[in-house]
Amino acid sequence: MKLEREKYRNRIELLQGTLDMLILQTLQWGAQHGYGISQALRSRSSEVLQVETGSLYPALHRMERQKWIAAEWRQTEQNQRARFYRITAEGRRQLAHDRSKWETMVAAISSILEA
Amino acid sequence: MSLWRRRLGSEDRKAELDAEIEAHVRMATADRVARGESAEEARAAAEREMGNLPLAKDVTRETWGWVWLERLGQDFRYTLRQMRRSPGFAATVIGTLALGIGAAAAMFTVVDHVLLRALPYKDAGRLVLLQEGGHTANYFFAPWVDIEQWKSQSGSFEDVAFSTGLRGRTYLEGKSAAVQVDGQAVSSNLFELLGAKPVLGRGFIVEAPNFVAGKNTGTIVLSNAIWRAAFGGDKGIVGRVVRVNDVPYTVVGVMPAGFRYPAGTSAVSGQVWTSLQLDEKDKGRGYDSDYYQVIARLRRGASVEAVTAEMATIQKRVAAQYADAEVREAHSIVRVVRYSDSLIDADVKKALLALLAAAGVLWLIASVNVTNLLLARSMARQREIAMRGALGASRGRVMQQMIVEGLVLSGAAAVLGIGLALGAIRLTRSVAPIHLNVDYSTHVDFTILGALCGLTLLSAVLSSVWPALIAVRAPIEPALKQGGLQTGSGRRHNRLRSGLVAIEVAMSLTLLVACGLLLRTIYTLRHVPLGYRTDHIVVANLSVPSYRYVDKSVTATLYQPLLERAQQLHGAQAAGLMSEVPLGQTFNIMLSLRMNGNDISAMLKPVSPDIQKIFGMKMLAGRFFSKEDTATSEGVAVVNPAFAAEYAPNKHDPNSLLGMKVWNLRKDTPAHIIGVLDDERQKSVAEVSQPEVEICLCQITPGSNIYQPATVAMDLVVRTGEPTAVMIPELRELLRQASPELANSTFSTMDQIVEDSFGSQRLAAHLLEIFGGAALLLCVAGLYGLLAYVVTQRTREMGVRIALGAQRGNLLWLVMRQAGGMLIVGVAAGIGLALASGRLVRGFLYGVEAHDGWTLAGAAVLLLVSGLVAAYLPARRAAGVDPMEALRSE
Repeated sequence: MKLEREKYRNRIELLQGTLDMLILQTLQWGAQHGYGISQALRSRSSEVLQVETGSLYPALHRMERQKWIAAEWRQTEQNQRARFYRITAEGRRQLAHDRSKWETMVAAISSILEA
Repeated sequence: MSLWRRRLGSEDRKAELDAEIEAHVRMATADRVARGESAEEARAAAEREMGNLPLAKDVTRETWGWVWLERLGQDFRYTLRQMRRSPGFAATVIGTLALGIGAAAAMFTVVDHVLLRALPYKDAGRLVLLQEGGHTANYFFAPWVDIEQWKSQSGSFEDVAFSTGLRGRTYLEGKSAAVQVDGQAVSSNLFELLGAKPVLGRGFIVEAPNFVAGKNTGTIVLSNAIWRAAFGGDKGIVGRVVRVNDVPYTVVGVMPAGFRYPAGTSAVSGQVWTSLQLDEKDKGRGYDSDYYQVIARLRRGASVEAVTAEMATIQKRVAAQYADAEVREAHSIVRVVRYSDSLIDADVKKALLALLAAAGVLWLIASVNVTNLLLARSMARQREIAMRGALGASRGRVMQQMIVEGLVLSGAAAVLGIGLALGAIRLTRSVAPIHLNVDYSTHVDFTILGALCGLTLLSAVLSSVWPALIAVRAPIEPALKQGGLQTGSGRRHNRLRSGLVAIEVAMSLTLLVACGLLLRTIYTLRHVPLGYRTDHIVVANLSVPSYRYVDKSVTATLYQPLLERAQQLHGAQAAGLMSEVPLGQTFNIMLSLRMNGNDISAMLKPVSPDIQKIFGMKMLAGRFFSKEDTATSEGVAVVNPAFAAEYAPNKHDPNSLLGMKVWNLRKDTPAHIIGVLDDERQKSVAEVSQPEVEICLCQITPGSNIYQPATVAMDLVVRTGEPTAVMIPELRELLRQASPELANSTFSTMDQIVEDSFGSQRLAAHLLEIFGGAALLLCVAGLYGLLAYVVTQRTREMGVRIALGAQRGNLLWLVMRQAGGMLIVGVAAGIGLALASGRLVRGFLYGVEAHDGWTLAGAAVLLLVSGLVAAYLPARRAAGVDPMEALRSE
């Protein structure tokens, strides 16, 4: 189990930039709770990306601390109380920044791979 | 407050996070149910998918940023629980560390007060004393004409000031009674040079020293302490007239609290400074010129070495102006000494540093001991630690917990240690030699607190991090599988712990040897024949208000009547007067004269005739003074063997001195030698005697050339059959009747004075007794602890051995052999260490060598025997193991 903890940490590290970006992108379409975000990421990636709880919630709470997203308790359509996250102005700026960085990187990597 | 709010908030947030995750699970479950799974299956599957939820929450909480605080709290609580569960262990650890920390803190406090004491002056590092002297004689003080030339010829000083103590004892008349003070006549620029300003009044107006009355004539500055003591802190004191030794002075200032000059002054209740007025005698370098203490402030950037070199050149020209060749030699050198360095006696410095080292060693022993204890416990807790690891605790987390434990234990030890240190300091106050001059009144300062915190931290790190590291590094699985006993790593740790015990033994031996050497020194010193009896003698060091006797004979009006009345005291068998009792170290008069073409330098002691009887001194030749010697009879003197050895016409026959003229008591009244006393120890038990001349007190009259020095200080000596506690109040009352100031005299007994004269040796011996004893105790406890642990660990092995036919004696031998091994290695290393550190104590020893074989052997035997006794208990338990019990219990 000790190893498992390390595993979580590693994954967060690996995905840090990307997971943040994906979450922010998801929230672009409207406020969403944790479960909703994980479902959205899963379905939009055609079931390829599965975000684990152990990565998702630490990321959400960290981004909340960084003021990229804000949270409030609301009722879902199924009458379930859940914590909804919405993107802030600062979050949008961060998303734009992450995105351009990502695109540069993808372009660079693919130009290497295709060379 | 804000911390609390955060703590409270954290509980809310924790609940919120739980609710958030729970909502997640519910929604996931609801989706699965919607897809057709049963409610139970759906819930289980959702939870499985989400993984280790508590861990996920834990990691999430970490992002909040203050979990460490919560964990610290957890660890702290856990530590307290541990301590409650095994109070014996906690008490041992805390007690041991407290002993070490207390000893080190107490010694550091004393060292700090004596050696690192900050001088109460601005930029004190640039203050130097200029001391004039020769290659053989050290005069220290300089006449004004020389000071004047240094000032004009040297470019290294910002300013030069000078001062001299007021003659005789100084009494300031306060509101009610006269108080004895330290009085100094100082040049007007002294306070400015020291960077001190009065808190009341303007102080002295700085002007060039002159020979006619100036702006400061007849003015005085008071120290803060005496202003409060004698005038009740009266703010209107400035401008008023006060009397010092019956001379009126106008108060022009009160100095701030804590200011003192000279900085070494401490014994008397306060200080006064009068403005120094030069007179005709200061224009020359004569026998009767005044000699001054000279203090200078160096220019910024001027080094002591450079100034010393410069002064050497200047002094060549200055010394050339002394006419007499011998006197010129005695003034040929100027020493430039940092003021702070001049205040510390080199002997005391050495003693204190050596004791600090000893305290440090004791602290090390304590730390090693505690490390050993914690190591033992971490072995015993290997299983618990492995279990924590298996449950997901990271190594850092386990380390943190053990370090918190160490910190709590050593923190408690530090608190206890401070208590011990304060107690110890109070204790040393009563044994500290007077010349140690420690000012205990100052509150605990930050250097000491800082050093203490450092010590505590260091102790904690030393004693808990290491065991923690070892415990954490151990692999988890074997510990869990085997129950943590008798593994290979356990053996290795036992070797490590044996090594630690051996180190303890070695360090303890070093302390014991040092202690033994000092005890032998004290023993030897106590058995040096002193040349006089010391029992049943009460001594009053009179504080003579000499100003009251300026125009009358103090001998006739004070001393003689005092003697007669003291003799009639109930219980007094005899009473005598002597300027300074042997070993008194209060006051001595040096006599320089010519006799038979010899230059003689001798100590001079005016005494009354009964002194010989009281001290039981023997005569080598001639007679002592008697009632027949009076102010009008022929002048007489008695000398000691050192005098005879140096100046007698026939060095082997003291009788050849009898009848020789020493010098003139008065004009036309020569003093002849009438007797030679047997040898007596004068300044210290360890020092051989110097030439000494004694004269009869009754023959010293105001006309005598030595009247002033010979009458200013006097010890009243009474031989009595009564206990000291009864005699001293009676004597004090008698003195009060003679003159109120005399009631402030200090009382002692001759036995006590001899004891006090052992000074630093006695202090060192007492402290080393404590340190050595504590070290022995710790090291025995450490040995016992280790063996007891090993025996418990090997109970099963012992059982098997017995079952296989081993004799009980064999088992006893098995354990004792292990103990013996540690002891022998430790003692061998300790002997090496003791020999190497012999250098440190050599300066305090008398009549014993630093590498004294008997002391080494004695200490080694003491350690070996105590160690083997400590080992015997666990060994007997090992031998007494019941094989059936031992085998069944596993």
